[in-house]
Amino acid sequence: MSFLEANGVRLHTTELGAGPPVVMLHGLLIGSLASWYFTAAPALARTHAVRLYDLRGHGLSDRPADGYDTATMAADLAALIGDLPDRVDLVGHSYGALVALAFARAHPARVRRLVLVEAPLPPATFADEHGFLTAGPDHMIAALPPGLREAIAGGRRQAARLLATLRALAYETTLLADLRAEPDLDAAALAAVTAPTLCVYGDRSSCRPAGERLAAQLPDARLAILPGGHYLHLDAKDALTALLVAHLAEHGDG
Amino acid sequence: MTLDPATAAILATVERLVIEVAGDEITLAGPLTLATSFNADLELESIEFVALAEKLQAHYGAQVDFVGWISTKQLDEIIALTVGDLVTFIAART
Repeated sequence: MSFLEANGVRLHTTELGAGPPVVMLHGLLIGSLASWYFTAAPALARTHAVRLYDLRGHGLSDRPADGYDTATMAADLAALIGDLPDRVDLVGHSYGALVALAFARAHPARVRRLVLVEAPLPPATFADEHGFLTAGPDHMIAALPPGLREAIAGGRRQAARLLATLRALAYETTLLADLRAEPDLDAAALAAVTAPTLCVYGDRSSCRPAGERLAAQLPDARLAILPGGHYLHLDAKDALTALLVAHLAEHGDG
Repeated sequence: MTLDPATAAILATVERLVIEVAGDEITLAGPLTLATSFNADLELESIEFVALAEKLQAHYGAQVDFVGWISTKQLDEIIALTVGDLVTFIAART
């Protein structure tokens, strides 16, 4: 287990396997580096050095009060990979994909290949789709999805810890305000991304139109649709892993 | 059931590292046994299970390739893992 001071925040990071570097970013709230650790990362680690980390506020990383905008979190990523070679592959899920995209816009020469899994656009829609976040501390539990609400009502350890994490992120940090303030990305903003990009979306996901837009507006991108919802690494683990392995195995810059 | 000394030693190490990761209240319901499930019984969070794997890797070294082991498993198998599954895996490689 290792921790790295990056951009003023202590981040939990781990590295699996050996080979060309890949950095994987998880989604917000219920995500952590475990999202990739137990799904696609072990297979990628057969051929790559896979670096995983807990985004600020998540997993075992620090939970600072602010800095949940993609620009600040892309700066976290830049600090985290300061020791890696010039060009790395990036794989992100959900808001982690938006952070990877922000990094690729800011540092196009540093990204060899990019994979965006279920990146939500406009970014602010993410907050709206997690209505429990906006319900307020007294109403959060009532607004949770039914399965989660029942688990928490049962008083079990995992549910209680998840609720504590959600409350802390929603009410003790600027995460929600940062999400709402996150600007949308138009074709001009996306034109800076030069890396060959694979966009992967679920056929049942409300984010799917974002994937169609990204695939059309990014300079070098294609769209793949898998059976599943927003959490594709769980819904379509093997198919998603196969797509990642194939996209990252292709040589050259496209 | 009496465990052989090698199995008992690995079980004790796993229990010590689980407590390091999740706090000693995790054993309030009783000591770990080979039948204890990480998810259903201990209710470890997934990130805590990663932390446990990292500590096991540090303790036993590279011959215990936890990530390679996980890479062969489906999600439902990972969710169903017991302490005994982990102890058996470690025992075969140490």
